[in-house]
Amino acid sequence: MQGVAVTLAIFFVTIAAFLVLRSAERRLSPRTSTAPARVPFTGGRSPDTHAWNRYHVRYYPMSLLFLAFDMEMVFMYPWAVVFVDEGLIALIEMFMFIVILLFGILYTWRERALEWA
Amino acid sequence: MSALGVIVAVLSVAVAAAVGVYIAAWVDIVLARAVAGVAVRPLEALVAPLSWGAAAALKARTTTERPDAETWALAPALLAALAAVGLAAVPLAPGLLAADVANGIVLFGAAMALVVVAVFLQGWSPNSPLPMIGGYRFIAEGLSYEIPLAVVLIAAALPARSLAIAPIVLSQENLWNVVRQPLGLPLYLMAALGLAFWGPLALPEGEDLAGGSSLEVSGVSRILWRIAQLMILVAVSAMGAAVFLGGWLGPLLPGAAWMIAKTLVLLVLLVGARHLVARVPTERYVIASWAILIPLSLLDVFIAGIQALVAAR
Amino acid sequence: MGLTATIARLAASAPARCFPLVGAQAEEVAPWLRLDPLLAIVDSPRAADVLLVLGRSDDEMLRAAAAVHDAMSPPRGVVVWSPDGVAPGRWPSSDAVIVREPGEIALTCRRLRDDLLGRRVTSSPDVLPDLDPAPWRGVGPFGQGGTGMTGGVPYGRPLAGRADDRDGLKLDQMLVRVGPFLPPFPPGLQLDVKLQGDVIQEVTIPAAIADAAGSSGGEAPLGAPGPRGHAARLAVAGDSPFTAALTRPVPIAELELPRARHHLAWLAEALRVSGLEAYGLRVLKLAFGLDLESADSIDALDRWLRRNVSLRWGTSHVGVVTGAQAEGLPGGPVVRASGDDRDARSLDPAYQRLGFEPVVRDEGDALARWRLRVAEARQSLQLAKRSGTSESTPSGVAEGPRGPLAADASPSAGLVALLPELLAGMEWGDAVTTIVSLDVGVVEPSEQRAAAGAGPS
Repeated sequence: MQGVAVTLAIFFVTIAAFLVLRSAERRLSPRTSTAPARVPFTGGRSPDTHAWNRYHVRYYPMSLLFLAFDMEMVFMYPWAVVFVDEGLIALIEMFMFIVILLFGILYTWRERALEWA
Repeated sequence: MSALGVIVAVLSVAVAAAVGVYIAAWVDIVLARAVAGVAVRPLEALVAPLSWGAAAALKARTTTERPDAETWALAPALLAALAAVGLAAVPLAPGLLAADVANGIVLFGAAMALVVVAVFLQGWSPNSPLPMIGGYRFIAEGLSYEIPLAVVLIAAALPARSLAIAPIVLSQENLWNVVRQPLGLPLYLMAALGLAFWGPLALPEGEDLAGGSSLEVSGVSRILWRIAQLMILVAVSAMGAAVFLGGWLGPLLPGAAWMIAKTLVLLVLLVGARHLVARVPTERYVIASWAILIPLSLLDVFIAGIQALVAAR
Repeated sequence: MGLTATIARLAASAPARCFPLVGAQAEEVAPWLRLDPLLAIVDSPRAADVLLVLGRSDDEMLRAAAAVHDAMSPPRGVVVWSPDGVAPGRWPSSDAVIVREPGEIALTCRRLRDDLLGRRVTSSPDVLPDLDPAPWRGVGPFGQGGTGMTGGVPYGRPLAGRADDRDGLKLDQMLVRVGPFLPPFPPGLQLDVKLQGDVIQEVTIPAAIADAAGSSGGEAPLGAPGPRGHAARLAVAGDSPFTAALTRPVPIAELELPRARHHLAWLAEALRVSGLEAYGLRVLKLAFGLDLESADSIDALDRWLRRNVSLRWGTSHVGVVTGAQAEGLPGGPVVRASGDDRDARSLDPAYQRLGFEPVVRDEGDALARWRLRVAEARQSLQLAKRSGTSESTPSGVAEGPRGPLAADASPSAGLVALLPELLAGMEWGDAVTTIVSLDVGVVEPSEQRAAAGAGPS
């Protein structure tokens, strides 16, 4: 309980502290905002469009593979705690799990899905 | 559970983070001068982080045409908060642990997993092309270092039969994990560089993006972002020291002194990597991480598992 | 206010952060500024205290320079260096500090920054008018200028439209107007880069700065425009030994040492863009103090580069210039790195007497260009040492560090025209590595226009 309270306290206190420090800018420096100052910088010419767009995230196949490994990680956390008590059978089962996922990586790599789409 | 205990814990993490960040900034300047072949002047460099910070602080905050102001303000704060939580999970000495949770490894992993969100927001919020490319690039990098990071920490937890950090340190009484799990520390350090987007893995802020996610930032926010980044470096160094270098274990000196010394060793190593290793090409790094580093980390778990079983016999 | 004064006093010991706008004749001065401890050259105008205008700029460049100036966060100042001593004009209604000697640039920047911190000088006001890019306030059903789902000009700019892509998805295509002054790109080069994600789909070379909104009427902010065109630039840069070698004999040592120095200065910048800023400074120091006895240092540098696996990873098989593409170029290290051994020095009897053989590699990628330039620097030092007092033979062509110099042709023009076909399909990081490895140098607006006209697409 103490640990959880401390963790949450640290998290929110740090966020608050940084936001307070950020607002200290107002005391230190002039605040002007004109249209030419706000143009996103790409070397001196003004942009054509807003930057926000339906960005082509070319590593989307890799992110699917990441989901699979993320689930494996989730299972490995409790497995690590009970592993020694369960003995060799636990090792073999996890090994089989890992090998199946490694075949997944092998397939992805051979299909060149890890490369930029 | 006492309010005083919580306050002491928060303050101690703040002090540790502040000292660590300042040392990291100083080491960065000293190592940069050493590699560049100019006069190092380490004592004069002690003031350099303060003066650089002061010079940045006096600039006005600029904004862009249509940023997402809330997330832009939140990004450095979130990054720093996650680093602080990660640092809080690491014990300084037996009994001196800020966040006394039953699974420090899981807490650390959870905090570090959200780093991707903070850095992406920093890049995406200004609504400017180059920072946005940096932000999206970092997600590719983040998804790629995440698995080796988590798996290598799990491998270190195996001999301790616990996900709490103190038992992991105690399990290294006979032999440090860096020796009996040789793949662990190198993989962890590579992932740590990615977590702090530092040096070879400084993809969101690379010079090829003219500063990337920090391009549109000026004023105090610039320093805050830098401080948050260095806090991540400190947190991952501390965790690495605890989990791989035996934490507070060591003769003669008190445990806290050993812990601090080992953290500083890793910190210097990580900071120095920036000046000796070039930035990785994004796509090839993703391929290398999935095709080479992840199988190596799974091999590391397998080796640790066999060792743990043999030791238990 | 006590707090601000304390912070200002602390800040006074930090280097002045400068954003350089490198113009035509500033190539001899600009690279060495990084060595000065009084300055820190930064990548973004938002982080800069001082805008450093070096060399002359064309009218079109002044428009972009004004935009860069306005992007700087206050307090800000401007320092102008003009090599021929003619006093340039002044920013309207504010002062730019003018420097005549290159040696005084750093000190002037530092003093200006200190004055700005101490509030003895006011921050330079905006040059461009405070106008929205397109009228949007109160326009449209939501009052922000947008219409429909993604139409109109919300907050003054439209949203990106869709386009096909090589993997069959039809997502948005972003046009990044890489302007004349974006740090890793050659100063003066303008590219219109169409990106989907971070892969470049198409690069076009615009003929001029196309910026309809808020044109700067009235006088140019920065003095008279400089000489136009490569020939005129050669006339002004008359003290460069390579231009002198076009018409009269020049001692070979005086040609080869600057060549080695140029290659090493290029390497320093390439290392900086690769993330190794500190090592780049080391190389820059070596270049600055280069003399006939520095061959060992260059050998050590070459060994370090060969051993550094991370550099090889970033440059190997990147930006391959094929033999066919190299044939269309006038010459230079880019051509020699793709297997073609053209070098104007091979035709010079003075060089032939020294046993000169051009260094050639055939991989054609960025790594080959890196290795080639270091090898050429080494060769240049050897030639300079062995040449004694022998002099080059003047013909109409001299081999400069970037390629053959002639009265009417710039070695870099062909490289810019090559960019659209070279960069298509490349990831942004690889594209920057390629451009840096080509060593294009400062691009004049006339060269930019010529390249725009030369390109087929």
